[in-house]
Amino acid sequence: MSSETGVLGRNKKRLTAMAAAIVMMSATGSAVQAEEGQGTAENPVTVRIIANEAFANTWQTTLVPEFNKVYPHIEVVFDGVPYPDMLAKMMLDATGTDPEYDAYLIDDPWVPQMAEVGALVDLKGDEIAAITDETYDWDDFSAAPLAAGEWAGVQYAVPVRSNVLLRFYNRTLYAEAGLEEPTPEQTWGEFFADAEKLVRDRDADGKDDVWAISTYFVRESLTPTIWQSILNANGGALLDEDGKPAFATPAGAESLQIHKRLLDYAPPGGLGHGFSESLQAFRQGLVANLFNWGSIYKATAVDSASTTLTPDEVGIQVLPVGSAGAGTHRGIWIAGISSKTDKTEASWTFLQWLTSKEGESVNAALAGSFPARISTLESEPAEPWLAPVYQTLKHAYEVAAEGGMWRIRSPRSDAAQQILADEIARGLAGQVEADEALDIAAEKIERALR
Amino acid sequence: MTGTNMAGLVGRGEKRTGRLKDLTVRWSFMAPSIVLMVLLLAYPIFYTIEISLTRFDIATFSAGAWVGLDNYREVMDDYRFWDSLWVTLIYLVIALPLQVALGFGIAFLINAEWAGRGFIRALFIIPMVVAPVVAGGIWRMMLDPLWGIVNHWLGFIGIGPLDWFGDPALAMATIIIIDTWRWTPFIVLIATAALLALPKDVFEAAKIDGANWWSTLWSVAIPLLVPVIAATFVIRWLGAVKMFDIVLASTYGGPGKATNVINLFIYEEAFRSLRFAESAAMAVIVLVLTMVLTALFLRGTRALEDRY
Repeated sequence: MSSETGVLGRNKKRLTAMAAAIVMMSATGSAVQAEEGQGTAENPVTVRIIANEAFANTWQTTLVPEFNKVYPHIEVVFDGVPYPDMLAKMMLDATGTDPEYDAYLIDDPWVPQMAEVGALVDLKGDEIAAITDETYDWDDFSAAPLAAGEWAGVQYAVPVRSNVLLRFYNRTLYAEAGLEEPTPEQTWGEFFADAEKLVRDRDADGKDDVWAISTYFVRESLTPTIWQSILNANGGALLDEDGKPAFATPAGAESLQIHKRLLDYAPPGGLGHGFSESLQAFRQGLVANLFNWGSIYKATAVDSASTTLTPDEVGIQVLPVGSAGAGTHRGIWIAGISSKTDKTEASWTFLQWLTSKEGESVNAALAGSFPARISTLESEPAEPWLAPVYQTLKHAYEVAAEGGMWRIRSPRSDAAQQILADEIARGLAGQVEADEALDIAAEKIERALR
Repeated sequence: MTGTNMAGLVGRGEKRTGRLKDLTVRWSFMAPSIVLMVLLLAYPIFYTIEISLTRFDIATFSAGAWVGLDNYREVMDDYRFWDSLWVTLIYLVIALPLQVALGFGIAFLINAEWAGRGFIRALFIIPMVVAPVVAGGIWRMMLDPLWGIVNHWLGFIGIGPLDWFGDPALAMATIIIIDTWRWTPFIVLIATAALLALPKDVFEAAKIDGANWWSTLWSVAIPLLVPVIAATFVIRWLGAVKMFDIVLASTYGGPGKATNVINLFIYEEAFRSLRFAESAAMAVIVLVLTMVLTALFLRGTRALEDRY
């Protein structure tokens, strides 16, 4: 027995030693893998990311150095591409046999297209779960921004630069016109009543020199988002439950009339205004209201190099209330990892950091990007001016989620958006009646989405 | 076989060998150009035709299943395609004669000897070397109804303010103004060279015969210049039919669809809507139309050359 015990004991020791060796080997292997995955001082890993040129350079010079303080062996390179060329370039890259990019910065409606061609990794799948930090909390994301990265029940991308259409207003111009500040409860009727008084001849030279509003009117793909936010606020939707166009209705036409009516209170040449022109007009104190993307707040109310206004002068809230509620529109930049990259771990390490609470705070403070995490939005912001912005953002996320206020989600969403841009532009220019424009758009979109 | 026959046969053989050699040398000189042309020109055209006859497979980013003429039918049924062609036609009908007339007119005026003529000629080159997108952007700033300098100046003579980008007619005028600013100098240069090459003795004879300035222009200079004018028109037509970047940078095809020229529409359908097959079909139709019209213009040019 004792000899048996001795043999068993020796065997046990041997087994234990073998098991320990296997564990150590596997642990060492993991360490080597981890080192390779996240790079080493001798062999750093380079992650290439395609991004909108509007902020790619800022991110390269401000965010990447902060990331490298934590992960010094992962080199992140952003390639800035003009927005109109981004989707085609990403699709071309993603469908190639050896894609140039390891990760993609994707605009809100593009996830279905990218997912459909198998370009993106499932971020909640086993492969990524195995390399995800256990403190990374998916449930902490606000529902609306997180949903932008999801398609057909799979989370392909994560929000890195959240955005929503918001209303900016100039407190000084409201006070000069003898008007109360607007509230998030203000209706479209009340908005237009104020607009009458906001168009003024400020210097008494016989010509109007301040106006009530500027926003997107020009023929481009983001102009329909203004009409759509009015439509959604009036209880309308772009598509019905069967995915068929549902906007060619009296409510749709009325919403387009409201969008068009804004031109009556816009500066001369308003029909040619888009993102830049409306922004310039507001920053120079020429218009009392601006409907534009929330992310411009810092450059519109804080940075003295780019604006004449201060945070005290600029109010921010959701768009006026229609028959169903307030209006807004989701426009989230999300990031996904290429399904063909061999640098999955390094890519995910960067995206994890960028979308962590720490990364979001750095991104907000240095680049003015808006966060998507509930905990970030509820915490004490790094800068005082962010407090009212975060409050509005939380409200807008809720409004967007409740009203389904985003562009068409489909692998052919861009074709549909371009059709809307064409027809909304014709309606705004008065080349066709609102109902005719929407009828044509509905017919064409139905065919495009087939 | 007689000696003469032999000599004839040898002569024919040598002749044939010589011709063969000559042909070989000629083709060997032309071969690199032909290969380059096939690679750079013919292949993209045939690939575009192939795409236009298939359902574009976005997953592989290449031509997919064969659909015959479906894409062409789709395009023909799309009112936006016809609208864009119409807009392009309006632009061409106004811009081309205007630019040719202005170009030759200016060339005629600056052809006289006067101090600073060389400097002014050099200035004329500037618009041609400015990138079209930059030109469009600068003009957009200058014509902006809110901040633009043009409306400010027009205000001094009691005109305006004009809504250059909000009024459909003025938006088209804007495109034509920018394009004319850019391309008239090119025509001026061609016209100046043509004027300098005209035979001086004919003008001297006209002067001796007592022809005044107008008679010299109408009865001598213009008839002599007609072939050059026609050739310039064809060259400019081939450039103008590609109009795209100035519109993209200045009006984005608006207001509404007032300046949505065909190339902008094709670009948007391809690279914004990712409808590559339909865009390829449109490109093929435009290519055929352009070739037919160019052939007609060339025939017209030849007829004018024969007549004058």
